Amino acid sequence: MKFKEFLKDKIITIILLIFAIITIEIFLLTYPIANFIKIYIPIIILGLYIIGIIIEYLIKRNFYTNLIMKLDELEEKYLITEIIKSPNFTEGKILKDALEQINKSMFENVNKYKYMTEDYKEYIELWIHEIKTPIATSKMIMENNKNEVTKSIDEEIEKIENYIEQALFYARSSTVEKDYYIRKTNLQDIVNESIKKNKNILIEQKISLNIHDLEKEVNTDSKWIVFILNQIIQNSVKYMQTSHLSEIEIYAKQQKENVILYIKDNGIGIKKGEITRVFEKGFTGTNGREANKKSTGIGLYLCKKLCNKLGIAIELNSLQNEGTEVRLVFPKGSYVDIT
Amino acid sequence: MQKILIVEDDEKLRNELKIFLKKNGYEVEVLEVFKNTLQDIININPDLVLLDINLPNSDGEYICKEIRKTSSMPIIIVTSRDSEIDELLSINYGADHYITKPYNIQILLAKIASLLRRVNMNGEIGDKIDAKDFIINTSNSTIEKQGKIIELTKNEYKILKYLVQNREKIVSREEIMECLWETESFIDDNTLTVNITRLRNKLEELNLKELLETRRGQGYILRR
Repeated sequence: MKFKEFLKDKIITIILLIFAIITIEIFLLTYPIANFIKIYIPIIILGLYIIGIIIEYLIKRNFYTNLIMKLDELEEKYLITEIIKSPNFTEGKILKDALEQINKSMFENVNKYKYMTEDYKEYIELWIHEIKTPIATSKMIMENNKNEVTKSIDEEIEKIENYIEQALFYARSSTVEKDYYIRKTNLQDIVNESIKKNKNILIEQKISLNIHDLEKEVNTDSKWIVFILNQIIQNSVKYMQTSHLSEIEIYAKQQKENVILYIKDNGIGIKKGEITRVFEKGFTGTNGREANKKSTGIGLYLCKKLCNKLGIAIELNSLQNEGTEVRLVFPKGSYVDIT
Repeated sequence: MQKILIVEDDEKLRNELKIFLKKNGYEVEVLEVFKNTLQDIININPDLVLLDINLPNSDGEYICKEIRKTSSMPIIIVTSRDSEIDELLSINYGADHYITKPYNIQILLAKIASLLRRVNMNGEIGDKIDAKDFIINTSNSTIEKQGKIIELTKNEYKILKYLVQNREKIVSREEIMECLWETESFIDDNTLTVNITRLRNKLEELNLKELLETRRGQGYILRR
């Protein structure tokens, strides 16, 4: 708060005061009193007023600069009412009361939406669990009646399964509370599970696998990681090159600070300018817009989000027409082992 | 024959599972009323229970815990809940396996088989499969005929076992690969060809070459 601006706000009282002093002076001049009194009275009035104004300025400046400073420091600005001292002047008190009320009502509003999303998420999870039984039943029926038709339906059901899984993790990824469970996990087991899950499509597309050096342990939630791996492997399958034999290489490297899991393919790759955008929600890119690829732009976005929650870094490198490499970096010992 | 009890409230799924397991050589019982689920299970006293968690009137985790108080029968929990915590709880309550819906049928079958095998370890079931023309030793992956013993590699053994299980049926290359992948040997098409050729050579050493036939464009068949 600048003194000049403060004075500007006081302009009316200052004008009135000057007017009052002039009036008094005119009266005094018409009376035969000592000259020194004629000078003393206006000066004392003016002087006292100036002192008063300076004191008021100092009190207010103290409060407002403190307020602004604290506001700058705060990450969550709405907590400001909790940390400033109650001011000892009326305007400040009104301001603080108003802020407190605004906050309270805003909290109620935010909470309302929080409950709404929570509710919705619960419904989605329930729905997903419900739908798993009819899917399991369908798969059993097809297993008991194997033929060309059911095989084809089975492939479609598998796609449905993948979409459902994506929805489940999407719902999980957007809540605040912890939905995962970190424990010591072997990378080999995770990779095996994920490959088995995708075996039909991998065999059908005649993709050869090169899997090595995976006997390493990381601290993470295996279900989440399997889901992330599924997305990456499914992408690799989706964007294969038809001109030569397709291969997916999966291996891990142990480093001082972390363990890195590599998933490498020799597919069509990603355009240079688009690599940085692949983790954006809804980004499909040139590849995704091509016929019969049907990219939703959700897979990698979800991977990134889930990785963030688990404290894993996900990086992607690609050369067009050469292939794509995804790296998952598991930090070492960043989680307390609770098992 | 070993008796499996299916405790699942979805009628259709229950029946399909029953058909499937029967086809694979098990005796199957199902529960249709879920009023006294725990008592019913104990009365039937199966060799293995497939237990759903969400059941009318009670839940699987509770039942699992109660069964464990009196019996050590193998229990496989089958559920649509898929969080790690649910899995941990079930295992803590004494379940032997935890499978989430929609499950992979082959994995379910493999888990049932391995559990039952473990329970019957007391020597009743031998570790030899009599394939008529030859004998497969499951304990050391060898085949023998009239005293002549030939060692098989892990993959060759699995392929032959699968062919024997599906004897006189045409088995496609994809099927064999899926079977191998299920046991975590992720071989590709070329490796499969090599494996088959080697297996055929080994069969030839036992004068059984004509047993394994190739059906062009369809797969293989193990003749009787």
